[in-house]
Amino acid sequence: MKYVKGLKCRECGREYPVEPIYVCEFCFGPLEVIYDYAKIKKALSRRIIEKRPKNLWRYKELLPIDGEPSAGLNSGFTPLVKTERLAKYLGVKELYIKDDTVAHPTLSFKDRVVAVALTKAKEFGFDTVACASTGNLAHAVSAHGAKAGFNRFIFIPATLEQSKILASIVYEPNLVAVDGNYDDVNRLCSEIANKYRWAFVNINIRPFYAEGSKTMGFEIVEQLGWEAPDSIVVPCASGSLLTKVWKALKEFQQIGILKEVETKIYGSQATGCSPISTAFKNGTDVIRPIKPNTIAKSLAIGNPADGFYALQAVKESGGAMEDVSDEEIIDAIKILARTEGIFAETAGGVTLATYIKLLKDGKIDKRDSTVLCITGNGLKTAEVLNGQTAEVYQIKPNLSSFEEILKRIRQKEGK
Amino acid sequence: MSEVKKLRVRLTFPQELIKEPVLFRMAKKYDVMPNIRRARVTDTFGEMILELEGLEENLDKGINSLREQGVVVELIEGDIIE
Repeated sequence: MKYVKGLKCRECGREYPVEPIYVCEFCFGPLEVIYDYAKIKKALSRRIIEKRPKNLWRYKELLPIDGEPSAGLNSGFTPLVKTERLAKYLGVKELYIKDDTVAHPTLSFKDRVVAVALTKAKEFGFDTVACASTGNLAHAVSAHGAKAGFNRFIFIPATLEQSKILASIVYEPNLVAVDGNYDDVNRLCSEIANKYRWAFVNINIRPFYAEGSKTMGFEIVEQLGWEAPDSIVVPCASGSLLTKVWKALKEFQQIGILKEVETKIYGSQATGCSPISTAFKNGTDVIRPIKPNTIAKSLAIGNPADGFYALQAVKESGGAMEDVSDEEIIDAIKILARTEGIFAETAGGVTLATYIKLLKDGKIDKRDSTVLCITGNGLKTAEVLNGQTAEVYQIKPNLSSFEEILKRIRQKEGK
Repeated sequence: MSEVKKLRVRLTFPQELIKEPVLFRMAKKYDVMPNIRRARVTDTFGEMILELEGLEENLDKGINSLREQGVVVELIEGDIIE
């Protein structure tokens, strides 16, 4: 059963058949997948979803595939953690963490989008998948692509740190380090995507790939007992995740799974790369590209492809955008770890720090039920905590040395 | 030998360049053919979505000259590296 009607230009509205294309031939606007919601409404219900395996494909009618899924069969349906110690620490009533730090198999929300991209790539008949990435996307394409049996080309800037390379190269893709700056890598990849018949997940497969992010929104609603929260805070790199979480809520409303959506969507960025937040604060819809300078590398997109649309989603929902400093990001990572036992990467620190700022400014109510989208695991960016963590107690291998330290610890804890 | 290439870009003009024929001058000087698809101008900035076609070497020179004048030149795909 096919539920996808086709592709539609977000700018001029021109429609296209389902093909590996991403840009309108006329106005160069981005293409978006459109669905037959009347048909989906008849085929999908809360009860049907609940009976399915706990992975992101339980919402498959709302994802852009024609047949059965062939990648990411264990991805998605990550925990929605109701915080107690963090909520108490912040003095708020109802706070949840959507915990993609434990996404399968590569510990970030990119496992969702890549699962959808690779299933679609297989339907299109591609044998090679590719991406350009400095981290999470490279890991996800390398791993999912290995499992699905694709040839894989991963492009990275030659200056990338060894730890980031390792989490991709272990899956043995063709890892190509480009000796050039960020702009050079972007331009080369665009040229390669237009020349070779490969599934470049975030170029020619982008309209399909991006739809995978909706599953985070679907899961939040289902895990809250089929209710949309008052507020959701989403980190913004290209802005795509935020637009898709918003689209997910509206789609659930459209097919009758949700009666109404009054959720406010809040976007979070690092101040060192905040083109969308800056536009929001300046009251303009023009996203000015910037050169990123932040520790939150997974959000460091200076020219965000979906920035304009993320801004629209935030405004339409009645939410806001905010950005936070590198110090605030590190503090937030530590707060989340010591209160809830969740170790988030820098993007997670951005999201929690933004929530704290929005609370202080009264932009989010303390009585609101709020979900924070925590999109990646802290082990991926552990180096940012060098010299920033709590003390390690060094002792000699005898009891008196231990008890001396124990006394100090108890004094510190006020016991 | 340089080959003919097409590049789809987004140009953002600062306020002080809005009234200048920046694109025409670049196209003429470097023999680059612009094909404009979308544009808008407000009181503070100008934005143009277009295709540039020309010899690779000329495209590079043309884009550099736009950047030197203060025009922001970006691929329409946005940043691809994620």
